[in-house]
Amino acid sequence: MTDAQTAAAGTVEAPVAVIGFGTAGVNAVIGMRTAGYDGPVRVYSDTSTLPYSPILTSYYAGGVKDFEQCFPWSADEIADLHVDLVQNASVTHLDPATHLITTENGETCHYGKCVISTGAHPTTVGFPAPEGYEPLVLRTLDDAERLKTALLRPSCERILVSGASMIALKCVEAALDRGVAVSLVGMNAHILDFSALPETAARFERGLSDKGVAMRFGQTIKEVRVLKGAGAAADEEKKLEVTFSGGDVEVFDEIVVAHGVRSNLGFLDEGALAIDRALLVDDFMRTSDPDVYAAGDVAQAYELVSEERRVLGIWKTAALQGAAAGAAIAAELAGRTPDAADAYPGAIMTNTIAVNGTLFISAGVSQADDGHIVELRNDDEHGMTVACIFEKEADGSRGRIVGFNVASDVDEPGGVAYDTGAMLSLRIEEACRA
Amino acid sequence: MGLLEGENAYWKFAGTCTQCGHCTGSCSSLVSAGMSLGDIAKAMLDAERASSTREELASAIAGNASLVQAVRGCFFCTSCKNTCFAHNDVCDLIYQARVDFQNLGLIEREAWSSVLVDEEWDIFKAYRAIYGIGYVDLQRHRAWEGHEPETDCTTAFFPGCSLAAYAPELTREIFETMDSFDGKVTLVDSCCGSSLKSAGFFDRAEKLCDRNVDEIVASGAHELVCVCPGCANDMRKALERRGADVVVRLLAGWLSERGFKPKHDLPEGPIYLAKSCQDRTGCYLDETRKVLGLADEGADCAIYSGCCGAGGAVSAFDPNRQAEQTDDKLSFAPDGATVVSMCPTCAYTYAFRLMQSPRPVTNKHYTELMFDSSFDWDKTFAQLGSMWSGEYGPWLAQVFA
Repeated sequence: MTDAQTAAAGTVEAPVAVIGFGTAGVNAVIGMRTAGYDGPVRVYSDTSTLPYSPILTSYYAGGVKDFEQCFPWSADEIADLHVDLVQNASVTHLDPATHLITTENGETCHYGKCVISTGAHPTTVGFPAPEGYEPLVLRTLDDAERLKTALLRPSCERILVSGASMIALKCVEAALDRGVAVSLVGMNAHILDFSALPETAARFERGLSDKGVAMRFGQTIKEVRVLKGAGAAADEEKKLEVTFSGGDVEVFDEIVVAHGVRSNLGFLDEGALAIDRALLVDDFMRTSDPDVYAAGDVAQAYELVSEERRVLGIWKTAALQGAAAGAAIAAELAGRTPDAADAYPGAIMTNTIAVNGTLFISAGVSQADDGHIVELRNDDEHGMTVACIFEKEADGSRGRIVGFNVASDVDEPGGVAYDTGAMLSLRIEEACRA
Repeated sequence: MGLLEGENAYWKFAGTCTQCGHCTGSCSSLVSAGMSLGDIAKAMLDAERASSTREELASAIAGNASLVQAVRGCFFCTSCKNTCFAHNDVCDLIYQARVDFQNLGLIEREAWSSVLVDEEWDIFKAYRAIYGIGYVDLQRHRAWEGHEPETDCTTAFFPGCSLAAYAPELTREIFETMDSFDGKVTLVDSCCGSSLKSAGFFDRAEKLCDRNVDEIVASGAHELVCVCPGCANDMRKALERRGADVVVRLLAGWLSERGFKPKHDLPEGPIYLAKSCQDRTGCYLDETRKVLGLADEGADCAIYSGCCGAGGAVSAFDPNRQAEQTDDKLSFAPDGATVVSMCPTCAYTYAFRLMQSPRPVTNKHYTELMFDSSFDWDKTFAQLGSMWSGEYGPWLAQVFA
């Protein structure tokens, strides 16, 4: 027997394979089952746990949620999906030409249809990692466990969060929840640089400052030196001397790096599928290979405002994309054309973040330039700043709404800030679909 | 499909819920139930998983007091959806749950028997029949004695159940005003079916709206003017579903475009404009403020949001919860203020509560600030009461038994 024949002899046949069992993967299976496909689905997961919510990892690290509360779907519910779940099995190679999946454990799977829903991993690009120290990141439950352990250490009194994004702020919140002093450093001019206008960012920053968060903007970490303690507890008592690009030096107990994420696509050969920033997909989440679908943080799909394909790394988008992929697969396996009603409807970028009572909501365009008109309103009665971003028409008049920010001093569920954000989000979507 | 008609809908909802629980704090019913929206979907699926017959399923659901509270206590105000980080739509979930509740016999008949607005008699039609309120002469698209249906109407006017029943003079005044502009107006004397949806008869509500669509299309009208944001939402969905070339407008915006000015001055004192919870984008609020002259920065007008308590037929399940909700919303308005609602049903709800628990606030629907005619709530409530105690009482009791 040749090597190929030997390998082929152990190959699992799967009409449908799903690589990655997070939000997008779970919803892909739900989409298949609710669309009537009841055949086998082989799912590859790189974890040993049930699918969990990355959104809840910071709450776990901060002690707001227990470990068990991080899993949106119970064992019974996952069992009801009737999948062949292969855990602790990272996929190391996917060959669309031969329809073969290979895992780190040596399993090969020949699929009919495949969904790639492998999510993303945090990057520490730009962090000058010193020898002997690995910074904390936050994406997985394992990351959250490390962060939680660090925050609970008696010697951990001050942490530095590098980055000004949503993840960075959730790490800030986790630290505040644990009573640990926290500083934040970001290379851009203000907090939430990709989502917030300066005016709304300023209100949010005031709220963070009121909670004791020290912030440095327009700076980066230039150097980190590990200062070990003495004696048997040297490692636990280590300190980190941080030199900022502005020249200041401060000492921290831990550093969390939140410099963005990268799609998990390392198992694909270059050129195997059409990739821009992620896998390019159509309205049914099909990649450049008609038998391979992508959903979630690995997919670059239709964004309503720009009318371009973009990666929107948010939970709801991943869920909707997974569902669309699942419905399309079910239709195609049944010999039908996917129903237009089941297509991914497109989405706008939305962000909602609350840090210990200070709230920020945004959607759509968040960077205003000469082609936009910004209308700003300070609502002192409700402790809120609202900025609406409109397209500027050729005659200079105000066109359709394309984005907004809401920054609120109060995080009141059901309150005015949330109502305002919801109304404006709907207006943007209506304007896009008009 | 399993025992639940909404099984797929619950799965889809459970798939999109992060289980963060943030929605719970936005709603007193969810707080009372101790559930998030995702918990509701999961609880329905759990009950189905544990049951092998419809009777067992009905028992399992009925025995889950929290689930019943969460489903029956919903106003459909979308406060939870607005708070949800994923903007998951509570209406998709709860309407489906109400359908399953109805199918399993879990919504008692007395909660809905008088609001089957797609049948020959409902409380509105009965009220109008007893007190001689009708609009045949305004329905140009229909055939009536000596009149052939007209198919060249330009505008269909949809007053809705509450306005048509409880303010006939105001309804006619609005119609006459609309008819004074260019175009030919016809009145569509029907209901959007929201009470059917609340009772779990979703398909029947859609069919009713479909019949409304047929009527509107047959009239020739290409715009439908609604008074109530809730009617506007439901009819827009139906028109889109049927592919009808009809644009839905709210009365305020339609009149404003034609240069209409209110027929009298606004009341003295502060005006508290109650944004309808059905006004999802706030556009109707903007149109209403504009036509009332309250859109300017310095206008003495405060705006508050949230459900009046009428939504979702919660009163049939928990009258106290509805009363608390209504009181909570009215508490925004200080003594001496004029509370102005956008939905006639909100105006009814506030009027009823103010009758039970008087306060020195004036309760108005926005149309009353634009036209000379008005609601007479004292007369309306007296007439509603006497319907049941008068000569028609036995008939009503029989019809709605």
